[in-house]
Amino acid sequence: MALTLFANHIVKRYGGVIAVRDGSLSITSGEVVTLVGANGSGKSTLSKVITGVAAPNEGQLLLDGKEVHFASPQAAKKLGITAVYQELSLVPDMTVAENIWLSHEPLRAGLGVRGGEIRRRTRDLLALFEGTVSPRLQPDTFVNTLPPDERQIVEILKAISNQPRLVIFDEATASLDSAQVDRLFDLIGEWKRDGMAIVLITHRMEEIFRVADRVTVMRNGQTVGTVDIGATSEGEIVQMMIEGASSPGDIRMTPVEVSAPVRLEVSGLHAGRVRGVDLTLRDGELLGLGGLQGQGQTDLLLALFGALPYTGTVTLAGRRIRFRHPRDAMRSEVAFVPGDRGSEGLMLSRSILENFLLPSWRRFGLIHDVQAARGAASSAAEDLSLVYSTLDAPASSLSGGNAQKVVIGKWLLREPKLLLLNDPTKGVDVGAKGEFYALLKQLTQQGTAILFYSSDDDELLGLCNRVLVLQDGLVRDELSGDRLTRSNLVAASLGTGHGKH
Amino acid sequence: MVNTRARYFFARNTYLFSLLLLAILLSVNYSLQDNLFELRILNNSMRTLLPLIVLAVGQSVVIIGGGIDLSVGTMVSMLVAVLVKLIDAESSSTDIVLAVLAACGVGALAGTLNGVMVAVLRLQPIVTTYATSFIFSGVALVLLPRPGGQIPTELRRFYAGTPNGIPLAFYVIGILILVWMLLRSTRYAQFLFATGSNDKAAYTTGVPVKIIRLTTYIWAGVFAGLAASALTFSTGSGQANIGDNMTLDSIVAVVLGGTRLSGGKGGIAGAIIGVMILRVIRNVIFFADVPTWSQTLVNALIIIAALAGPGLVGLIRRVVNK
Repeated sequence: MALTLFANHIVKRYGGVIAVRDGSLSITSGEVVTLVGANGSGKSTLSKVITGVAAPNEGQLLLDGKEVHFASPQAAKKLGITAVYQELSLVPDMTVAENIWLSHEPLRAGLGVRGGEIRRRTRDLLALFEGTVSPRLQPDTFVNTLPPDERQIVEILKAISNQPRLVIFDEATASLDSAQVDRLFDLIGEWKRDGMAIVLITHRMEEIFRVADRVTVMRNGQTVGTVDIGATSEGEIVQMMIEGASSPGDIRMTPVEVSAPVRLEVSGLHAGRVRGVDLTLRDGELLGLGGLQGQGQTDLLLALFGALPYTGTVTLAGRRIRFRHPRDAMRSEVAFVPGDRGSEGLMLSRSILENFLLPSWRRFGLIHDVQAARGAASSAAEDLSLVYSTLDAPASSLSGGNAQKVVIGKWLLREPKLLLLNDPTKGVDVGAKGEFYALLKQLTQQGTAILFYSSDDDELLGLCNRVLVLQDGLVRDELSGDRLTRSNLVAASLGTGHGKH
Repeated sequence: MVNTRARYFFARNTYLFSLLLLAILLSVNYSLQDNLFELRILNNSMRTLLPLIVLAVGQSVVIIGGGIDLSVGTMVSMLVAVLVKLIDAESSSTDIVLAVLAACGVGALAGTLNGVMVAVLRLQPIVTTYATSFIFSGVALVLLPRPGGQIPTELRRFYAGTPNGIPLAFYVIGILILVWMLLRSTRYAQFLFATGSNDKAAYTTGVPVKIIRLTTYIWAGVFAGLAASALTFSTGSGQANIGDNMTLDSIVAVVLGGTRLSGGKGGIAGAIIGVMILRVIRNVIFFADVPTWSQTLVNALIIIAALAGPGLVGLIRRVVNK
């Protein structure tokens, strides 16, 4: 059944904060619209209004010419509107099949859930991603045993299982690897031909040009324009999104001298998924870690931070070390920035001040000199050009990009010599990324050695002079100079490049 | 595949470990008390356990749904008072059925009070139900200032009966498990587990979280009514604080049975096994000639061990895996 949806001049306030000031979006069946904008520009909120999760304060939703008001997500779902959410909406203790069919279970005589039917239909849905997921992913697998990418896939299948007319993908590709993204885009193409209307929220420019028919750009809670994909360019979209954004290409680090002292030397490291990694990192160098997701990059960083038991030798500034606890690493001037800022990086309900100072209270005396601490935190906030109301506001009041700055900023107060970054820009908008890259450059110039895992190939290509590509817990290839190209990066991550092993 | 199936089996049947524990404890108990399984002794034990079993079943539903009910004990006291008021030595079987229905009805109302405060007004369940527990104990005292009451002799005989040589309590347990198995395959159960496991995810998926949560407290009230009935039939009279101590036991039984205290995982079979474990441990302590003064201490240690157990299992697993 065809559908036309107009969201006109939507306003949504949360308390005193305006999340969407003037949001508009239109879409019809058989069309893919990408919704782009900086973090905090209101994309997610606008999509929540469309799917009935949030009720708008002003503005109207027109569905097939009639004004609609959704009291709950259920109401929107009944009319065929659903979403793949950024914060996953899966129930951890239930199986894949139960999650996919939750609240629209096929019923027997209106009461009993048809378990066999659910499993069979789930198997059909899982077949859509066959080959890009592990064979462990079965209808009866519990969701809490799945890695993030497979959870995301379950989330996608859950939205699709209801045979919706309109699906909003809110950054659904952020945790998928490239093979999974390719498959998803093939499927989106099919669904589009079948007459589904699709809204795709993404931070990846390349994805916009791959699938979109039209692009709607939001800035500061406002829809600033919609353009046909054929009549626009990357530059124009970026320009619309944010003034003066720098693409990573402009900011490549200066190569380090071979004479620079070696900060970190690792040999034969085994930990978790890591099955024997050697690497050398010099002061002032930004060494990239690439490859598909879950190939051991995170485990490598965790091991180096003392958060995961390992075997092998690690030498830090010429001294053999063995960290048993993150505290040991911190004492040796090592800092770690986690990828999941919500659960690992920030105490969301505590103030920005406390978040900044958590690793460094020791510096301010046994009985804290709060004045001095406040001064240090506010100068750090200034260095990071953090956008915030007051230092006493809770960390949850920060937008995504700014929250990420605090996650990094709290370690900068300790002036680390080795910084471990675990996919730090995941889900961060282009503008905030630019500032973040500038910060990295400043750090390397001060001599900080940085080990940088990113799931974004553009980022690795744009920033690093040397990238280690991991596959299956091993360094598959080391790319630098002329060999550091996109095709080599992809080839190595798929294990087809000139291997070191 | 095999791994997935095994995982599924163990994750669904959370009571398996408890069942093993019960078997071990029963054999210890048997070695100390060789008449343990004689019909008369078994029937006596089961008859006195049945009120707590029924109550723990209600508590499981609340805990699976992500809440907790600290008022079930005094609710039982209040409902026993209601029953004693409605039943006397001459009551007909119709009167008795009506009295049981009335107790369940009043229990449902009390549960609704808890449920509205927790689910709709979003008050913290521990504090809220602890507070309402004093309301119920107050009502119990007003209804039954002095211990008393009488029930028909035939009723007491019926309750102590062993139809087909099997204690009545086992029939009740059988019915409870059968009903639960049927319920487990309904959409209500999916919603219940989803709410307890991750209420936000459940809400965005279209699960009526508030209503589900409200119903869990109503169930607890209804089961408090059934527990109060069993207790009245068993003792033949009532007093205003008769159920007060049952709250903590009901929670411990649920946890001993493998149900996760933070919700989303477990079942009623575990609660039933948990009650039996609790009783058998106390039996063992009694027959092992442990001085009476230390029994309270041992009871407290069991409770702490039961609450810490799941965490300890995780810790042991981590150490072993290293």
